[in-house]
Amino acid sequence: MEFLDILIVYWPKLLDGALMTMKLTLLGALIAGLLAPSLALFRLRAGAIAQFPFRLYVSFARGTPLLAQMFLIYYGSGQFRPYLQDIGAWQFFRDPFNCALLAFVLNSTAYQTEILRGGLMGVAHGEIEAAKAIGMTHLTALRRVTLPHAYRIAWPALGNEIILLMKASALASVVTVFDLMGQTRLIFSKTFDFSVYIWAAVIYLCLTASFVRIWDYLERRLSPHIHGKRRAALARGRVSA
Amino acid sequence: MTSTDCVLKAEDIHKSFGSVEVLKGISIEARKHDVISILGSSGSGKSTFLRCMNMLEPPTSGRISVHGEEILIKNGRPANPRQVERARRRLGMVFQQFNLWTHRTALENVMEGPVHVLRQPRAEARARAEAIMERVGLAERMHMYPSSLSGGQQQRVAIARALAMEPDAILFDEPTSALDPELVGEVLKVMQSLAAEGRTMIVVTHEMSFARNVSTEVVFMHQGKIAEQGPPKDMFGSPKTDVFQRFISDVR
Amino acid sequence: MLELFSYGDTGWGDELAAGLSVTLQLALATLPVGLALGFLAAACTLSRRRPLKLLGAGYTTIIRGLPELLTLFVVYNGLGLALNALAQWWNPDGGPLELSPFIAGVVALGLVFGGFSGEVLRGAFQALHPGQIEAGQSIGMKPHQIFIRIKLPQVWRFALPGLGNLWINLLKDTALVSVIALDDLMRMTKIAVGVTKQPFVFYLAACCIYWICCVASEFALAGMEKRANRGIRRA
Repeated sequence: MEFLDILIVYWPKLLDGALMTMKLTLLGALIAGLLAPSLALFRLRAGAIAQFPFRLYVSFARGTPLLAQMFLIYYGSGQFRPYLQDIGAWQFFRDPFNCALLAFVLNSTAYQTEILRGGLMGVAHGEIEAAKAIGMTHLTALRRVTLPHAYRIAWPALGNEIILLMKASALASVVTVFDLMGQTRLIFSKTFDFSVYIWAAVIYLCLTASFVRIWDYLERRLSPHIHGKRRAALARGRVSA
Repeated sequence: MTSTDCVLKAEDIHKSFGSVEVLKGISIEARKHDVISILGSSGSGKSTFLRCMNMLEPPTSGRISVHGEEILIKNGRPANPRQVERARRRLGMVFQQFNLWTHRTALENVMEGPVHVLRQPRAEARARAEAIMERVGLAERMHMYPSSLSGGQQQRVAIARALAMEPDAILFDEPTSALDPELVGEVLKVMQSLAAEGRTMIVVTHEMSFARNVSTEVVFMHQGKIAEQGPPKDMFGSPKTDVFQRFISDVR
Repeated sequence: MLELFSYGDTGWGDELAAGLSVTLQLALATLPVGLALGFLAAACTLSRRRPLKLLGAGYTTIIRGLPELLTLFVVYNGLGLALNALAQWWNPDGGPLELSPFIAGVVALGLVFGGFSGEVLRGAFQALHPGQIEAGQSIGMKPHQIFIRIKLPQVWRFALPGLGNLWINLLKDTALVSVIALDDLMRMTKIAVGVTKQPFVFYLAACCIYWICCVASEFALAGMEKRANRGIRRA
């Protein structure tokens, strides 16, 4: 069958591409995820003037196309090549993968920070006060009460953001990174067989669908007090409290 | 009694939701100037029955006639939507939750029907609407949005909206049940003045004083059937059934 | 450095302005297409008939799960191949039919906007209070009157924040069409970079122009939200 031919021939390349896509997405989301908590706390606590540069950055990240941000880093760094070579950073900016990743990290950090900030604001004040009342230090209360709760509240929105990041990762192909999109375009340019795009679509849908399942499963694991088996059984009246 | 005297007639109305039969054969006749109060405990089907009268809930079987014209039903749905629309223009409805259009001012709510359904010229409709607003005592709040009005004021606007269509009969679905107690009086007063000027009204209500003093006929429904009906003096003076007796004493 | 952006032969100001004009044209042309598809999709997903429901849900789920760039290529290449086949069949001796990148952009971005706005509109229609509709029915309003005078104004109010976000995303997504050689702002910037060898300056300028468009849109949308919500008491 013609439709399957292209898959049979090119599946290693497509697999490579898919792995690259996941690498870009997960690395980007992870790094942004590590940066987001401190920035979100900063956003909540710091004064208006101190926040201004950060808010400017978020507005820029959300108000400009990711493609333009990527070009700014990848091609724009070329304008400062001599300077970058001097400080030894040129090796980094030469590589399109690094530039794409940097653009994704900067973009996702902005969004994740705002999402987490929303989560932090949703944490019930009473629970934080209870932690203080038993003498927890600020840092401990943060670690054991505030942040876990904030993440639980922000979980669905964070999942959404990671999916958006996965879709945005396709842009890396424009600066010659061979992710799934990049491999697909290459195969099409060689074969002019349209079905390769359909396969790419199917793979992307599988990736996002699997991610959604994993994310939902993790949500249930992290919130046994809301989603737990025992609680569900209680609700159904099968177990007495 | 000629057929033109009979404004609204319901004959042997049955209504089922799935396998549950809520109305088990209700028949009511409303003649001109009748004020019929429908009483009953919750679950008796009284609101469902009222909504059958203007086809918001089409009956599963039975006949509804407006001014002698029967509304045709097929397979539990109205057979002729145009006929239903025409019938609804002659009936007004006042809802428990008021259902004022939130994106229009009070005056605009009242004018909406006359201008867009009856196709009256705007200026004429506006003049009439303002007069009706005056009538229900809300002239100064004409240009306010429903969210700025109290429950009692909203319900009075809803009554004005129904009046603006110059209906032959007005259906009231528990008009005061959603109001705070101190706001109930202003709405009942308006309803009383409507009855006094001879409007045909069918009112589902819990307000015993209204049923007793203002209506011309009281219908008591229990578990989907009419348990007792008659003039209020007789009904309240000497209740014939145990259920109704218990109902009156419970409500008091 | 500012001479780089001047109008006329030596500066790139007029080229960038022309590019911006194409960008805005693309976005404004896509908007009605996207909204129409969104209303259709919402109507399908809210329908009681199963095949329509599946069609609507299938469309929105698939289109929202694909990278916009992929959708663009699928449309550009797919529609292009289909048009060529059509041209061959119609006139075997004639040349191939060219699919303009602008049309491909409108179709692709329209499909994307339609998928996302379908979900926003579905939520908005579901948020409608049934009582509002019953009040209209009780005075004998016809269904199309109820739709235009009662449903639409309220759906507009509910859907505006979501649709506003989608508009801003659309403005940014137009940059993708530069990849298939549409002479929009992004592509004109690329050309300017090729000549002047000043990528940072020009890409930064392009970013700022997009930024201004988005911020201006946010202001306009805030104004529209205020107007749509007059008389509504917010929780």
